[in-house]
Amino acid sequence: MNYPIWVVPYLGGPWVIGIMAIIHIFISHFAVGGGAFLALAEELAYKRKDDRIYQYLKDHSRFFVLVTTVAGAATGVGIWFTISLVSPDGTGSLIQIFTLAWALEYLFFAAELATAFVYYYTWDRIDKAAHLKIARLYFIFSCFTLVIINGIITFMLTPGKWTQNHNWFDGFFNETYWPSLLIRLSIMFAIAGMYALVTSSRIKDPEFRTYMVRFCAKWLLPVFILGPILSLWYLHEVPQATIDTIFTGIQTSGVGNFSILARAVYLSLVLSGTVILFAFFGPYLNPRGFTFRIAILFMICGLAVTGTTEWMRELLRKPYVIYDYMYSNGIRKAEIDKISQTGFLQQGKWASGLAQGQDNPTARGEIVFKYQCMSCHTEKGYRAMQKMLGERDRDSIQSFLQMLKEHDKDKNPYLGIMPPLAANDDEIKDLAAYLSTLNQKNKVTPAANICLPAL
Amino acid sequence: MSGNTKLKNGLQAFLDERFNISSLLQIADKKKVPIHKHAVWYYMGGIATMYLAVQFITGILLMIYYVPEISSAHASILKINSKIDFGWFIRSLHSWGANLLIAILFAHLFSTFFMKAYRRPREFTWLTGLLLMVICMAFGFSGYLLPWDDVSFFATKIGLDIAAKTPLIGETVANMLRGGEHIGQATISRFFAIHVIVLPAALLALLGVHLLLVQLHGMSAPGSFNDLPEAKKTYEKFFPDFFYKDILVWILAANVLFALVMLNPWGIGPEADPFAPAPVGIKPEWYFLSMFQFLKLIPPMVGPIEGELFGMVLMGLAALGFVILPFVDNGKSKAWSRFATIFGLLILTGMILLSIWGALS
Repeated sequence: MNYPIWVVPYLGGPWVIGIMAIIHIFISHFAVGGGAFLALAEELAYKRKDDRIYQYLKDHSRFFVLVTTVAGAATGVGIWFTISLVSPDGTGSLIQIFTLAWALEYLFFAAELATAFVYYYTWDRIDKAAHLKIARLYFIFSCFTLVIINGIITFMLTPGKWTQNHNWFDGFFNETYWPSLLIRLSIMFAIAGMYALVTSSRIKDPEFRTYMVRFCAKWLLPVFILGPILSLWYLHEVPQATIDTIFTGIQTSGVGNFSILARAVYLSLVLSGTVILFAFFGPYLNPRGFTFRIAILFMICGLAVTGTTEWMRELLRKPYVIYDYMYSNGIRKAEIDKISQTGFLQQGKWASGLAQGQDNPTARGEIVFKYQCMSCHTEKGYRAMQKMLGERDRDSIQSFLQMLKEHDKDKNPYLGIMPPLAANDDEIKDLAAYLSTLNQKNKVTPAANICLPAL
Repeated sequence: MSGNTKLKNGLQAFLDERFNISSLLQIADKKKVPIHKHAVWYYMGGIATMYLAVQFITGILLMIYYVPEISSAHASILKINSKIDFGWFIRSLHSWGANLLIAILFAHLFSTFFMKAYRRPREFTWLTGLLLMVICMAFGFSGYLLPWDDVSFFATKIGLDIAAKTPLIGETVANMLRGGEHIGQATISRFFAIHVIVLPAALLALLGVHLLLVQLHGMSAPGSFNDLPEAKKTYEKFFPDFFYKDILVWILAANVLFALVMLNPWGIGPEADPFAPAPVGIKPEWYFLSMFQFLKLIPPMVGPIEGELFGMVLMGLAALGFVILPFVDNGKSKAWSRFATIFGLLILTGMILLSIWGALS
């Protein structure tokens, strides 16, 4: 409410973050796991004095450096750009809480990039033992970027003691920090194996290709051996309310209510299972037949698993952006009561500025909608209000909104998956007036200067 | 000899004595798959078989709770969706699986058509394939009514009304399927029996013949491959090389099905009310949409002939073309070959455009 709103019609802002983040995660995980792959494969080449592995690594490292430093950096910047526009309050809070951690993250990121370039440009220019050391150094730097970002990401779901003492260190090493770190590391090794399968499938010598394809397939083993145990550990540390939401979803999947998290969990499990089967029947059992096309298909499977699992992880946090502290619409939990009494349109630099002098109830309702609902809903696209409202008239919408204001779960069943509505009675009437125009397909009176244009 | 090897050899001998496994392995070892740029279409048949297996398994599970009785059919589906543990999952697998199966069958049918796989000596492989396609569409039509919601009721009503226009036998067949002049309990009973007994039996028998013919004649290759000198033709072994790849494709196809089920579980509309007016813009399932749209485009009377009848005759002639072509395009005449390609392209393009038109209108 302190910043302007970025309207992304049909798709919605969160999906812009989601798409950007999923691509970035698939690349950044390669940057870390791929570091381990380069170091271990080069060690193998060093011990066996195998020039074929060296030659393969030279080719693979060109692909690695291009993907991680160009696409990785571009999508990384893209994430900052989109989260700043879509969730400015949440982004601002994370920067303020973890200023030192972010500074360290950038330091290690710069070191990681520098080492990646040194690694690539020193092939055949320094002795093999020294080159191997650079590979190891790269892996260490890239691991530190994970060590730091993992603390911030897990903090968003389990802020731990930080909610009481506001000590960033307590928030950083929270309940899900260690299981998440280990799961991510094992996933990173698996993703490194998948990328390496793409380059291995291009090797011309059939015997060496078979050897390398099998070698790469083994990189998927850690996640499949440790993944289930680590996932259970992770879920054990997740807030009970989130687990309750999963179980509610399991019971109601068929009728659709509150089940999206449960269905995301199923999909993540099923897709992970299919990746195991794919790895077994593809590169492991039939390495000779593992062609470039199949490797690309396998990558798409991996991307689907990564995307679904990250989507599920994001859903675990709903309706918060920082659990038990800030809701997904950027309103702090502690502010809800005050806002409900004094009114939302009196708060925040930007929201109050927009509402100033605005007497049209529909336009005032639109401002409330854009600040409080649009972090999850669109008017006509993803989770469309038009569809959700169905045939409801203005009065029934108003009654529904009054229910969303309730803090008691018996009176408001949406409490676990949606932020409570933070608005006074007049604003609820305004919001109902605006939402009823979506239903009746009336032309909405635009609130002046409320939106930034969508890209 | 190690214990493991002993056990393996013992098991092999046991199976061989009873099931003649070694001769089956010899056949599998001889079977080879041509490698060429259109080889990707070879996977369609395998995917369709996998989806078919899903349909059989989920269909049996649904039968445990589904009640083919007019006052309970809708309620039993609601119960499956909301009360039975993972009932929604099984039903969604069945419903989405049916749609994916028909989509893949279309891809299989047209890819074999354009690769001219229907030519001598594979005419009957092609004809059994065509019949299997018809059976699968009949599965779709008969299964669509069973949930007894308003859309399925009216779509079936319209479908049967159109079928009744078929000359000579139309009215009789429609009445037999309906169990009278109106859709009701008798229709549900008939459709249920057809869906779970008649069609599966027919499908299994025909599928057996189809697969046997495929094994007898081997994999068909397109002309561009057949024209190559023998030395330039490359093959891979069906077992295990192609088979392992087939498994990978099944895994991917299963992923698509699971993703659709999880992201968009199959719902159910309000219970059918035969006395209520038909919902506005009612349409059949997507695989009947092109035919439906085609019939809509034809004026009520074409000369002395009723429009719908005229349309059905035209569609019948197009279908007849697919039946006759294998016997006239035997690979010896370039003109017939070109005619077949143009005919297939026209039908395919027409079906796609009419389906899109039907969906948007």
